[in-house]
Amino acid sequence: MTCWNCGADRPARFCDACKALQPPVREYFAFFELEPKLVLDDKDLQTRFYALSRKLHPDLFSRKSPTENEYALEASSVLNDAYRTLRDPIARQLYVLKLEGFDIGEQSTKDVPPELLEEVFELNMALEEARMGDADALAQLPGFRARFEAMRAETDLAIAAVSAAWDATHEKQHLNDLRGHLNRRKYITNLIDKTNVPDRV
Amino acid sequence: MAYSDKVLDHYNTPRNVGSLDRNSSSVGTGMVGAPECGDVMKLQIQVNDATGIIEDAKFKTFGCGSAIASSSLATEWLKGKSVDEALQIKNTDIVNELSLPPVKIHCSVLAEDAIKAAISDYRKKQGSEVAAPVAQTVA
Repeated sequence: MTCWNCGADRPARFCDACKALQPPVREYFAFFELEPKLVLDDKDLQTRFYALSRKLHPDLFSRKSPTENEYALEASSVLNDAYRTLRDPIARQLYVLKLEGFDIGEQSTKDVPPELLEEVFELNMALEEARMGDADALAQLPGFRARFEAMRAETDLAIAAVSAAWDATHEKQHLNDLRGHLNRRKYITNLIDKTNVPDRV
Repeated sequence: MAYSDKVLDHYNTPRNVGSLDRNSSSVGTGMVGAPECGDVMKLQIQVNDATGIIEDAKFKTFGCGSAIASSSLATEWLKGKSVDEALQIKNTDIVNELSLPPVKIHCSVLAEDAIKAAISDYRKKQGSEVAAPVAQTVA
């Protein structure tokens, strides 16, 4: 890589030699000059975000060359996407999985343990029965919700443990486990959404 | 994005909702799921052991309209087919019949996986040496 403006070798965000803004790095962690991690310090990320927002604001480049203007716009857009993704734990975990080749959208049904499907199916059946039933059945819904929320809290603990383990070792197996926990979490979240008392009452 | 009339039809009046006796040796059960959207689909077939014809098919799907329609349509198509013919059903057939948009193609894949899983389960119970191939469909 060389600077688009002066041809100097290996420019950073700004070229060391001519100070021209370079095209933005697209990888979110690298953009923030961070190592890929599942657990991030929110405060530190926010500090970096504000600092970069000031540094890269397109207004600062309005009187520079059209190329730099363009890069400033691109950089601000990457910055916003990167911050939105990395500050949200679930979005961040999905992003790391994608980076490491565990894209959650590309798994097939074979990746889901049959026990989980059976469990989710049975829970859905019970929940549907409560939703379609009389007032007594509907009265069970808050109980279902409490149970599902406890399941989600348990899953979140497992996610935290496996995240810390991957950050420490970068062993692939932890990402595989993480994906499993996130699948389970998604199913549980769907169930929680269905525990609202239906409108018809 | 609007659902096609056929999807709405299957969604509003799903065919063959229910379940068959899971423990019967002539019933095959396929349970599949799409974790990225949180769907879960159970599809069952009842096969006449003598003729190899699928005499009944039932499903229950917890998911979006397209997932429900895909599995409902699948059970309609399965009835009267031989097990081998049933294996020929492709997710693209379901996509075409229901006019599913690209974002809903995975729902048809799920239905095809469910068919294959049900047949595989049936053949395992029958002790058939040729197990159904595991679905390799790409969305």
